[in-house]
Amino acid sequence: MNTFDVIAVIAAVFLSPLVGGLVAGIDRKVTARLQGRYGPPILQPFYDVFKLFGKEKMVCNYWQIFCAYMYLAANILTVVLLALQSDLLLIFFVLAVGGVFLVIGALAAESPYSQIGAQRELIQMLTYEPLIILVFVGIYLETGSFKISEIVANYHEPLLIALPLLFVVLGYAIVIKLRKSPFDISTSHHAHQELVKGVMTEYSGPYLGVIEISHWYETVFILGLCALFWHTNLIWMSVLIVVTYFGEILVDNITARLTWRWMLPHAWTGGLLMSFANYFWIYAKIK
Amino acid sequence: MSLISTSRVKSPWLIHFDCGSCNGCDIEVLACLTPVYDIERFGIINVGNPKHADILVVTGTVNHRNKKALKNIYDQMPEPKVVVAIGACGTSGGVFREAYNVVGGVDRVIPVDAYVSGCAPKPEAIIDGVVIALGKLAEKGKKVDQGIFERLEKTQSAITAR
Amino acid sequence: MVDVLIGVSILLPFIAGLLCFIIGNAKTRAAIIVTTGVVLTASALMLFQNGPCTYTPETLLGVSVNSIITFFDFALLFIILGIAFKLGNPLVILLTLLQIVPLAYFELKMAPHVEVAPAFYIDNLALIMNLIISIVGSLICIFGIRYMEEHEHHLHLKKSRQPRFFFFLVIFLGAMNGLVFSNSLLWLYFFWEVTTFCSFMLIGHDRTEIAIKNATRALWMNMTGGVAFVGAIIAIFYKTQSVEYFSLQNLINHSPEMTGFLLFPFALLCFAGFTKAAQVPFQSWLCGAMVAPTPVSALLHSSTMVKAGVYLVVRLAPGFQGTYLSTIVATFGAFTFVTASALAVNMSNGKKILAYSTIANLGLIIACAGINTPAAIIAAILLIIFHAVSKGLLFLCVGTIEHAIGSRDIEDMRGLYNTMPAVSRITIIGILTMMLPPFGMLMSKWMAMEAAANIPWVVVMVALGSGLTVLFWARWAGLFVSGPQLKEQELKKESAIKATILTMIRGFYPNAKWNDPASIKIPLVLLAMGAIVLSMAVPWIYTILVEPVVASYRPGLFVEPFKMGPFGLSSGVGAFYVLPVFLLSIVAYLFAVIASKKNGHRVVSAPYMCGEQYPDPSQPKFRSHLNTWRDYLAGNVYLQEFIGESKISYWINILSLIILIVMFGEVVR
Repeated sequence: MNTFDVIAVIAAVFLSPLVGGLVAGIDRKVTARLQGRYGPPILQPFYDVFKLFGKEKMVCNYWQIFCAYMYLAANILTVVLLALQSDLLLIFFVLAVGGVFLVIGALAAESPYSQIGAQRELIQMLTYEPLIILVFVGIYLETGSFKISEIVANYHEPLLIALPLLFVVLGYAIVIKLRKSPFDISTSHHAHQELVKGVMTEYSGPYLGVIEISHWYETVFILGLCALFWHTNLIWMSVLIVVTYFGEILVDNITARLTWRWMLPHAWTGGLLMSFANYFWIYAKIK
Repeated sequence: MSLISTSRVKSPWLIHFDCGSCNGCDIEVLACLTPVYDIERFGIINVGNPKHADILVVTGTVNHRNKKALKNIYDQMPEPKVVVAIGACGTSGGVFREAYNVVGGVDRVIPVDAYVSGCAPKPEAIIDGVVIALGKLAEKGKKVDQGIFERLEKTQSAITAR
Repeated sequence: MVDVLIGVSILLPFIAGLLCFIIGNAKTRAAIIVTTGVVLTASALMLFQNGPCTYTPETLLGVSVNSIITFFDFALLFIILGIAFKLGNPLVILLTLLQIVPLAYFELKMAPHVEVAPAFYIDNLALIMNLIISIVGSLICIFGIRYMEEHEHHLHLKKSRQPRFFFFLVIFLGAMNGLVFSNSLLWLYFFWEVTTFCSFMLIGHDRTEIAIKNATRALWMNMTGGVAFVGAIIAIFYKTQSVEYFSLQNLINHSPEMTGFLLFPFALLCFAGFTKAAQVPFQSWLCGAMVAPTPVSALLHSSTMVKAGVYLVVRLAPGFQGTYLSTIVATFGAFTFVTASALAVNMSNGKKILAYSTIANLGLIIACAGINTPAAIIAAILLIIFHAVSKGLLFLCVGTIEHAIGSRDIEDMRGLYNTMPAVSRITIIGILTMMLPPFGMLMSKWMAMEAAANIPWVVVMVALGSGLTVLFWARWAGLFVSGPQLKEQELKKESAIKATILTMIRGFYPNAKWNDPASIKIPLVLLAMGAIVLSMAVPWIYTILVEPVVASYRPGLFVEPFKMGPFGLSSGVGAFYVLPVFLLSIVAYLFAVIASKKNGHRVVSAPYMCGEQYPDPSQPKFRSHLNTWRDYLAGNVYLQEFIGESKISYWINILSLIILIVMFGEVVR
């Protein structure tokens, strides 16, 4: 571990929530503008979280507290591993830990809303997990490595050019992962409720705050993944991130919620077809 | 601590409970969310869950059936919390005040921090009522910071005392 | 020394089994079983200490061992034939005859008295299997002592049938040890048939109609594998006209020009492995086998017997490396992985979930064997180790829970943490070790994925399968903790340090009593600890145990696929930081536990029910019409409409048959 790694870890742990919170604030502002409203201040997510930390602690079951913190820990670890330019598959597995604990916490309360939310969240995980693995395998086939550090060191053109379809698949997976419309099935941000608040229903006060912060880490992780597709140039990387995230917000605003019965088959079929098309592309290039 | 106190007034999440309203007030409450009034610019979000809410906005008269639900919902809101009663019915029972099945205004069941009169009140008035309640929220928040929690009697007794 | 240890490993269980059968006294029987378990464990550890070796026994009590095995081989086949006639099942009769006649022809006409030297070839793979069989197997047998008492108590039997039960359970350990040590194909075949026979007798143990039906199905499906095995023996001789290749080592390390001749026998042997490992389309026998008492499911149908199938495939894998067969085996295994995982998702019966997940994991191991790179073989062996421990543990947990609550349905396990905290805690540990990093299963899955990445369709199936895996495990773990907050436990005051240590070991409610007898507690606790400690020790297990196996396949040419660094394992294409991730997980766990146990003002509230919840938060009810209280309950989503068992089983069987036909078609060509 050298100095650079230490700085990367510290930045990942302390800067990510700031960046994630800001992104969430911008998200809400842009959403409001798209709906013809003025919108909350950019710093609104921070006010929300600070307020939540000042609320009374209320739980159904102590497992919720445990699970909320495990969710946070897993997400921090994900971002740290990303900052250390570690193995993509390892990062992915650690990401799954967070999701699993969020679900266990939601199942811990005997509330029908959070129970159904948890089941739906599991189905959302089921939908996006294979897609993300497919994207990682595509990256491996193109670059010959799962390790981000080696990809960055040895591969000298933007991945987006070689893997455009896989980027679309990643975009698909991100919408599901970030629970944005049309896939805000298990829970939703903003005010459009579904199942009261789905998985989040029984988390409240500080614990909801913890989950909100974990979500910021998650956002940073997702943006980091997008950044990987144009790692050669900082400016283009930023452009790619901004365009992708704006695309996500746009989709969030112009689509209506779909059911998981629609999501699961369509995401898998579409994702598989596009991945295979892209794999063939890679093979054709090698041959 | 000051960060949390500031944040409390900048991020009031409200839950809207329709006790027995004719829906006139409800429409006005929802009108506050529209682009014309856009209460989200004050950080206000209309949540669907008392466990996430800071402000309970109640419309309509309270009757013997729904007073239990009202109490339960109030009880499930974590401190600090404030209540805003909306419209003639919410504040006093309105024209239904003397009906055999009506308990009266919201304040007959749970403590109310701000009253918004009118039948139905304008969205501006509702927003004004919420902003007044925010002042109370800040005060209650100070108590919470000192570790004082004023909970309503337990749900158990609240229900058996019908 | 080696001869004694090998003798103990194989013969002691047979002797102990006979003793169990003869002695009617329960206490003596328990003592015999415990002693056997301890001796087996000790002998396995000593064999491991001794390291790889070979050994050829000449005679046993003055008779040539080869003759003894041939004799018992035929004796066993005729017993099965007799049973087949008694069952009146023409299929089993036919399959038995298909083994007896060709085998007799082979022994009498083609190649009488085949002597293979060395008869026992004990390399690291055999040692690993021996350790698993002896340690995990013994623990399960010990668990069985008390379990069977309760089991028979539930059944109200007049005459105890435990002697018979333990006879088969214990001799099975010996058969498995023999199977993994044997270098001679003929000996291997004998032990193979013994496991099939034990499995049949144990599945049908309860003698209910369904038990006999499922046992018969298990028998004929496994006999199919036996026929393929005999076919392979004859095909090897027919194609090569020499007995040289009846030694497994020679078979694997054949010269390149022989590959074409040996591919067909390899395919037959793989097929035998598929049937034993219950791969699709033979998955139904393993699910049917779940009617047997839990120790049987744990021992035979998760951690050991089914491992015989994958052991054979992994053992043979270097022999067909780089061939068409290898790719098909990989495809077949991955296909089993994804389909069995899908089937596990729509099960609510806990034991069936475990059964399908077992089939899925065996499929993954076979896929690894098919991918056939050093990294993949390592992944396969690690999967065998970790799966044996975790799955054995989970079966025992479900058995314990079933005796306590009278159901094995996971919906009935809702909130079990409040009533049986200790067992639930161990079950949750078992589940988490199956699905989450940094535990060994996930680490092996990581290796498998990195190895599979070059065959896109295989990796796609593995990816889909692993998504499905997370779904059914996470929901099961969640159900255990789903319940109201208990009051009385929080009041106990403890010093901060003591509380921290207790919580670290026991989690929440550390004061709850665990009333089960020691023979149930000890196996559960040891296996749970084993699952965690083994995962932590994975870098060492890799260097000491697993790497030499793969290194021995290609002496001199071996490039180690994974390097053990200060933090964990890294390969040419990735890295899995076992220890740092473990350390951070422990820190996070402690932090989370302390956060949730911290004193101070905290309200325990009922779930949100639109303001109509029941005043007592421990009862899920809401106020309905006319002020009546109604129960509410949320159930799991089983995705029946997409992947219902009855809907897709047919297509799975068809597709898997097509893959098998392609496999044989291509090999014959």
